[in-house]
Amino acid sequence: MALLEINNISVHYGRIQALHDISISVEEGEIVTLIGANGAGKTTTMRSLAGLLNLSSGSVTFEGEDISKLPGHKRVVRGISLTPEGRGIFPAMTVRENLEMGTYALKERSTVDESYDRVFELFPRLKEREAQSGGTLSGGEQQMLAIGRALMGRPKVLLLDEPSMGLAPQFIKQIFSIISQVNAQGMTVLLVEQNANQALSRADRAYVLETGRITRSGTGPELLADPAVKEAYLGVA
Amino acid sequence: MSTGTPMGGAAESQARADELVEETTKPTRLRGLSDWWNHLPRLSQWAFLLIAVAAAFALPLVNIPLLTTEPSNDWPLACAEMARYALVAVGLNVVVGQAGLLDLGYVGFFAVGAYVAALWTSPDSTLVHIPYLLTLPLAAMVTVVFGVLLGIPTLRLRGDYLAIVTLGFGEIIRLLATIIPALRGQQGFQEVGHPPGTNAEGNPIFSNSAGAPWYWLTITVIILVMIALGNLERSRVGRNWIALREDEDAAEIMGVPTFRYKLWAFGIGAALGGSAGAIAAGQIGFVNNQRFDVQMSVLFLVAVVLGGQGNKFGAILGGAIVAYIPLRFTGIAEFKYLIFGAVLVVLMIFRPQGLFGKRPHLLTFERRAHKRIANLANAPAVSTAPAGTTKEAGQ
Repeated sequence: MALLEINNISVHYGRIQALHDISISVEEGEIVTLIGANGAGKTTTMRSLAGLLNLSSGSVTFEGEDISKLPGHKRVVRGISLTPEGRGIFPAMTVRENLEMGTYALKERSTVDESYDRVFELFPRLKEREAQSGGTLSGGEQQMLAIGRALMGRPKVLLLDEPSMGLAPQFIKQIFSIISQVNAQGMTVLLVEQNANQALSRADRAYVLETGRITRSGTGPELLADPAVKEAYLGVA
Repeated sequence: MSTGTPMGGAAESQARADELVEETTKPTRLRGLSDWWNHLPRLSQWAFLLIAVAAAFALPLVNIPLLTTEPSNDWPLACAEMARYALVAVGLNVVVGQAGLLDLGYVGFFAVGAYVAALWTSPDSTLVHIPYLLTLPLAAMVTVVFGVLLGIPTLRLRGDYLAIVTLGFGEIIRLLATIIPALRGQQGFQEVGHPPGTNAEGNPIFSNSAGAPWYWLTITVIILVMIALGNLERSRVGRNWIALREDEDAAEIMGVPTFRYKLWAFGIGAALGGSAGAIAAGQIGFVNNQRFDVQMSVLFLVAVVLGGQGNKFGAILGGAIVAYIPLRFTGIAEFKYLIFGAVLVVLMIFRPQGLFGKRPHLLTFERRAHKRIANLANAPAVSTAPAGTTKEAGQ
């Protein structure tokens, strides 16, 4: 049984169908990535997993339990944590307060300090900027904060929506190496990326999303070698 | 940026201090005021507050030339009205400023409060009569019910849509007051109650023409409300409101039950609007369906925006100003709203964030953060810190 299972879900925005019968499964300990062009439905998929969008059909099961109808704030408690596209940090709050919001769903309050230590170890930069307001951080630092905040609640699965968006190359490299590092410590990751090369080379398995449908799936290396994927997403003829 | 390579203790703390100083000296006006305030010891803060409160209580007694609204409008009565608007603004600020919900029908709650006071105290009402002072908490309770009833179906809406629905709510309340026979339409309710007590001549202290006692009653309520709200803001509730206002989706995925907290804000805001309505009904002594129009809702909103959304002290000032300007310029009646409009335009050009502006960060850590920044800024290393050590971080 997979940790997170998406069974034939469809999502509509008004009358427009954004997702058509999508099925994805994420096993415990994996990095699974979802690649695709703009408007393919990647973010829609992530938002429906986090409980921010309603499904029109299909179901989402987590640890064998149907969570399709669970509101977003209850899914966090179960252990699903999203780092939204565009980071979604709280600009008026300090870095520390942002991280504190991340512990909202944490039941064992005694482990909060441990969470801070872990996140500050991953992102020493955040420690340096603890008292600074989130809105004054650079783009890369905000992304670190968003990931750090998601990790504060010790989720069972981390949903990362375009963590590399709008970042300078050296930040992208760093963010990806941290994703691998977190995964090596046992965190299950579902990663949505436009940066297909980086994503595929780190992923155990991957899905290609095109106009709301899954068109290809396989292991990371398989898709990296796939000529169609190469041409469409890796910029190699 | 190079997180992997340690910069070395000294350089690092310099860099940090630099950035933090930079952060605090951002060019925002009045920032100096809040800095000054936050650096005061607790005791001095209390002393200043005490003086401010004493000054506030003395306001209707001192008739400052030029500032006064006389001869057109009695000054103590003007003070009472200003205080009332301030209370309304504090309430609406919870909804608009704290939780970020745009409410264009706030006058509806004000009206409900006024009618509660009228229905339970006026001789024109057939209901059981209760002492006037009890109608204040009763009005608050009834309006909370109205707030929740309105909130449950509508708070799933966002931004503009919510604003439209609340606009409708304000109108519905006004129309209900016209349609329902028991609410007596334009005829209204005479002789709404007032708090007990008579003066030496045997006249009631809280008469309709005596502004000062009503003013004192209102600001007492405001002070109690401010203390309660201050505590709430520093608690988890306040933090969740700020999260909600900043990014509703992000708040939800942190685990904040956003709907419940929106309902909270709506309910608390409604209760304060209702209390203000009950006070207004008592002071004016008459309630009918004529005063609760959209224009009032907009004025209330103006008060909050003017003062600075999310800042309850700003709301008080904003409310007082919104009430004051028309009263001050009644003498040149044709021009009073022109002047009002001009003042608003000028204010919004020079201070788009409102007079006080949103709190720059959360209250929970405010003092701690300020202390830290101050300590770092005072560290001797800062003066010799080479420029540019920190700039590699930007991208």
